[in-house]
Amino acid sequence: MTGPFATAIIVVALLLCGWAVVLVIANRAPDKALLGASAVLEAMLVVFLIGGIVQMAGSDQEFARAEFVGYLLACAAVIPVAAWWVRDEKSRAAAGVLAVVFLVLPVLVIRVQQVWAGPVA
Amino acid sequence: MPDTSPSDDSSVAPRSTGRGFGRVLVTVYGIFALAATARSAVQIATKFAEAPVAYLLSAVAAVIYIVATVALARGDRTSRKVATVAITIELVGVLAVGLLSLLIPGDFPSASVWSGFGSGYGFIPLILPFVGLWWLRRTR
Repeated sequence: MTGPFATAIIVVALLLCGWAVVLVIANRAPDKALLGASAVLEAMLVVFLIGGIVQMAGSDQEFARAEFVGYLLACAAVIPVAAWWVRDEKSRAAAGVLAVVFLVLPVLVIRVQQVWAGPVA
Repeated sequence: MPDTSPSDDSSVAPRSTGRGFGRVLVTVYGIFALAATARSAVQIATKFAEAPVAYLLSAVAAVIYIVATVALARGDRTSRKVATVAITIELVGVLAVGLLSLLIPGDFPSASVWSGFGSGYGFIPLILPFVGLWWLRRTR
C-alpha cells in the first residue's frame, strides 16, 4: 500500500493546498478550476480506497485492518464533506476550508501507509 | 432562533460562529472530532485495560470536540453558550493532560490528542481553544 500512486495523491493534495492558500490571500472564493481539480483528486482517493481494500483482501500480512479501512474511508470522505460544508460560502473562507482539507489529506495517506506497514508502538 | 433548514440563508444570523472564518474553524474542529473519536474508539476497543484513565480522558476529549464542532457550526444563542463551555473545558483539558503527561509519562503513552499539549498533532490542540474563545468573543 505504498508506491507512486500514494505519492501522487500527496503531491496533488499539496499543490491544491498551495492553490487554495493563494486564493485565500487574494481574497477569492474557490474558482471552477480548483473545484474541478478537487474532483480529480477525489477520484484518485476513491481509487485509493478500492485499491487498498482489494490489496488488503489479498494479503496475509498482520496489520490493523479496521484502522486501515478507517483511514482509507476518511481519505475518501473529507473532500465531499468539506464541499458540502462550504456549499453556501461565497467568500475566501471556502478556499480556507479546502486548504485545511488538502493539508490533512497527506497526513491521512501517510497514516494509511504506516498502518499497512505494520503495528506502530 | 432555531433553524431546521440549514440551506436557508436568510434565517442564519450574519455574525454566526459558523460563517466566514468560522467555516475554517469548524473544519479544524471537525477534523479533531473525527481524529479523537476514532483514536479513543480504537483504544477502548483494543487495549482499555492498559491505561483506563488515559483512555477515558481520550474519550472525553473526543466528546468535547464533537460538541464544540456542532455548537460552533450552528451558532445560535444556545449553541454559543454550549460552545463556550465546551471550549473552556477543552482548554483546561489540554493544559491539565499536557501537564500530567509530562509529570507522569507512564500513564500517558501518547494516549490522547491532548498528551504533551497536543505535540503529536503539531500543538494545534493547544492553540485551538484560544482561537475558539477568541472567535466566540469576536462574533458576539
